[in-house]
Amino acid sequence: MKVRLAATAALALALTACAPSTSSPSSTPSDGGAKTGTLKVWLFDEPNRAPKEKVVNQAIAEFTAAHPGTKVDLQYIAVETRSEKFKGAFNDPAGAPDVVEYGNTDLPEYAAAGGLADVGPIVANWAEGSGLSADAKATATYQGTLLGVPWYLGVRALFYRTDIFSSLGLKAPTSIAELTTDAHTIRSRQPSLYGIAVGGQYTYAAMPFVWDAGGDITSINSPQSRAGLKAYTDLIAPDNCPPQNCADLTGGKTVDLFASGKAAMGILGNFNRAAVDAGVAKGKYAVVPLPGSKPGSIAPAFAGGNNLGIMRNSRRPALAADFLTLLAGQKYQTAMYDAMGNLPTLKPAGDAVAAKDPFLKPFLDAIAAGTRFVPLNPGWGKVDSGAVLPTMIEKVATGKATVDQATDEAAAQIKADLG
Amino acid sequence: MAGRTPLWLLLPAVVVLGALFGYPMWQLGLLSVLDFRQAQVSGGQPTHFVGGANYGTLFGNGQFWSVLVATVVFAAACVVATMVVGAGLAVLLTRVSRVPRLLLSLAAMAAWAVPAISGSTVWAFLFDTDLGLVDQVLGLHGYNWFYDRYTGFALVGAVVVWHSFPFVMVTLYAGIEAIPKSILEAASIDGAGTWRTFWRIMVPALRPVLTIVVIQSIIWDFKVFTQIYVMTRGGGLAGQNLTLNVWAYQQAFASSEYGLGAAIGVVMTVILLVVTLFYLRALRRSGEPL
Amino acid sequence: MKTRFLNAVAVLIALVVIFPIYWMVLVAVKPPGEIQSLHQRPWTVRPSLAAFRRVLTADDFGRYLLNSVLVALVVVVLSGLLAFLAAVAVTRFRFRFRATMLVLFLVAQMVPVEALTIPLFFLFRDLGATVPGIGLNTLGSLIVVHTGFTLPFAIWMLRGFVAAVPSELDEAAQLDGASQFTILWRILFPLVAPGLAATSVFSFIAAWNDFLFARTFIISATGNQTLPMALLVFFKPDENDWGGIMAASTLMTVPVLVFFLLVRRRLVAGLGGAVKD
Repeated sequence: MKVRLAATAALALALTACAPSTSSPSSTPSDGGAKTGTLKVWLFDEPNRAPKEKVVNQAIAEFTAAHPGTKVDLQYIAVETRSEKFKGAFNDPAGAPDVVEYGNTDLPEYAAAGGLADVGPIVANWAEGSGLSADAKATATYQGTLLGVPWYLGVRALFYRTDIFSSLGLKAPTSIAELTTDAHTIRSRQPSLYGIAVGGQYTYAAMPFVWDAGGDITSINSPQSRAGLKAYTDLIAPDNCPPQNCADLTGGKTVDLFASGKAAMGILGNFNRAAVDAGVAKGKYAVVPLPGSKPGSIAPAFAGGNNLGIMRNSRRPALAADFLTLLAGQKYQTAMYDAMGNLPTLKPAGDAVAAKDPFLKPFLDAIAAGTRFVPLNPGWGKVDSGAVLPTMIEKVATGKATVDQATDEAAAQIKADLG
Repeated sequence: MAGRTPLWLLLPAVVVLGALFGYPMWQLGLLSVLDFRQAQVSGGQPTHFVGGANYGTLFGNGQFWSVLVATVVFAAACVVATMVVGAGLAVLLTRVSRVPRLLLSLAAMAAWAVPAISGSTVWAFLFDTDLGLVDQVLGLHGYNWFYDRYTGFALVGAVVVWHSFPFVMVTLYAGIEAIPKSILEAASIDGAGTWRTFWRIMVPALRPVLTIVVIQSIIWDFKVFTQIYVMTRGGGLAGQNLTLNVWAYQQAFASSEYGLGAAIGVVMTVILLVVTLFYLRALRRSGEPL
Repeated sequence: MKTRFLNAVAVLIALVVIFPIYWMVLVAVKPPGEIQSLHQRPWTVRPSLAAFRRVLTADDFGRYLLNSVLVALVVVVLSGLLAFLAAVAVTRFRFRFRATMLVLFLVAQMVPVEALTIPLFFLFRDLGATVPGIGLNTLGSLIVVHTGFTLPFAIWMLRGFVAAVPSELDEAAQLDGASQFTILWRILFPLVAPGLAATSVFSFIAAWNDFLFARTFIISATGNQTLPMALLVFFKPDENDWGGIMAASTLMTVPVLVFFLLVRRRLVAGLGGAVKD
């Protein structure tokens, strides 16, 4: 009988809650919240986390020493599950963290959900804040509000095999046209190699071609965008990288091809250095910025990277701000570079690591030449998860559609998704 | 024990299922007629009623229909293949010696135990264009199994069958073992071959088991996700290997379009329900009560 | 002669079926240079445990393992018990909406789970406010949700097993004055037990392999993470850490295999029971 009663009660409870539940937005304590207690921090997990952990633990020790009565509860979250974790944190403030690391392409989605706090005033009052470039700040800004501090950048450039280039009498390409002829030369002289490894799913390698031609994601069917896209898809051809092998390659697979010696060139990131050095290409390659179509120019690179932000629901925003500025400061940006190879976003930190490590020069040159970003629109997540751009590239590469058809189709989809 | 409705026996299960499904399913129906995205979930923006707009978006999308057709054909092929392989191997098990039987059932159980994500990854690695053992052994240097839509689907289907045939095999084998030996012997004295014995004696005896095995296979294979997502890197070249569940994930869930996602969920449920009811009715016609 | 041929066929098929699993373990112990190779060898002369070491250094590995085992075992027991009671109800009794109810049990499995996670998330958040222990961030929430999701299938499976027990048995006991409770536990339960072994395999695998609910419900309580969640960081095919992926996969498969071996005998004996409907 008791059971039946409980069941009836449970049922009644369920039925009264008719409308879909939502969370009521709570606001940040205006006085900055408690100055002691536990600060919850989420950082991304990495397959090889130990070096990152060491640096972060050092920062935590410094932070707790300076803030008596505080504790930092640090949790590493898998990149794979970030979406559920963040949604969960927005929907259940009780379990939410104070300081978070997030991918800069996820910004519009989190911003539209109203999950992140404005850190503009914090950065304005932070001595080291002036070291952030406008391009870097743009990757953390949504509709005029700064919603995070760029923590590190990942930038791609052109990796090429010095041994193959010198044996064929080639020089590092200084324009897209040169890059293309070099690729054809390599493929025709050494048919077992791909000239340059390019992939249909590797959007961040294709976009620089489009941006360089004067196009953009939001105008993907403009004549400029089409010209840039064509320059990229022309490389997915039997005379360089056959569609059968390359049409569905992801960025990671092109790293694989370059590292294992199957490709003479590749568009890889500064973060791929360890992977390349683990393969046969080790010690036999050099890096230059990806050239643009004009000889001597640099194609705009995609400014990927991660930001540190403060959750809007944080109960300890002042404490969170102190921790954020410590971890995002020059000292720990430099330490993170040494540990993980993450490119600093603060100019002084960048200069410091470049002086130590000449490998970084082409990447920093690419940043200096100007970087570009995805549309800052909450609909971008839909364009991305719907694989609109890869589908477009793959259709052209496999001959399923012409450049005009594929770009028109993609443009319509992007327009619908971005609203 | 027969008599009035056995409430006290059913109640625990009904309470759990009612709370876990009744209420969320009601919400699902409700969400499918609302404009409901992450901003609404977090309370940043108000929800509003959009009527059939989510369904309109869905049915007006040409890709939905082509993906639906591909899903139905792919699922049907997987169900048939799983049943044929599972039943064939179950019969084989009854006719081999102890050691081969043990080996085959252990191998099948191991395949059953492997998580879908791991199984898909290792198969994809075996058939990798450059690093795959299969391409290297067969001398197909640089052959990409996922370039062609049909070889891609066939390979994913093989992995689906690899994961799901053990359930069918073990279940049917146990069923065949439970058929009294005298009946099988009588059939063999009457001169019935393996084929005839299977259809005339085993299948009718196994009907209750077959019912649930077939229904479960239909549900699982129609909703296949992991194998497609992992092996074809999210739907294949230009989306040629998309199935409904992966498509729904890309179109709705990955970008928090809960209203649209709920509409897709409702449509998928209705399709599966119709298929199941159709199947159950066909069974009832042939004299098998539920 | 014929048996020998069939034996050979069976062994050959067993080898084909097991081969991907062999490859999984092999790649997990291969040194990296041999994995990224254009000449794959089906063996290795320099096995290395480096990949396993990398995976096992995930902090609190033991705790995650324990959490996963705990959730899976409690789900197996709860789901088996509730399904047993319900299966008796739908086979031994005729009542209105019986067939409808059986179909309804299946409907739950037809919805794509992603579509249900948002309503379920709010359900558990609100439940947690009234019933401590099954709210968000608790292992209780995972136990409840997996019990629910494995129940329909378990009921359908057990239905066959209960039906296989001749109803004369419980009628005779009833005439002897046994209570319903006694009939249930002393007569039906022991006879259906092998069937429970069979359904437990499904419940165990479903609860063990779950990523979706674990990642949705366990938001911030690190101590309540399950093993697959801790290993998920290695499942990044784009980072080409094949050794790490395969080592993590191997570690996830082993406990299920152990569970399989424990219930194997009963499993085959049990599944047969479902036939004599």
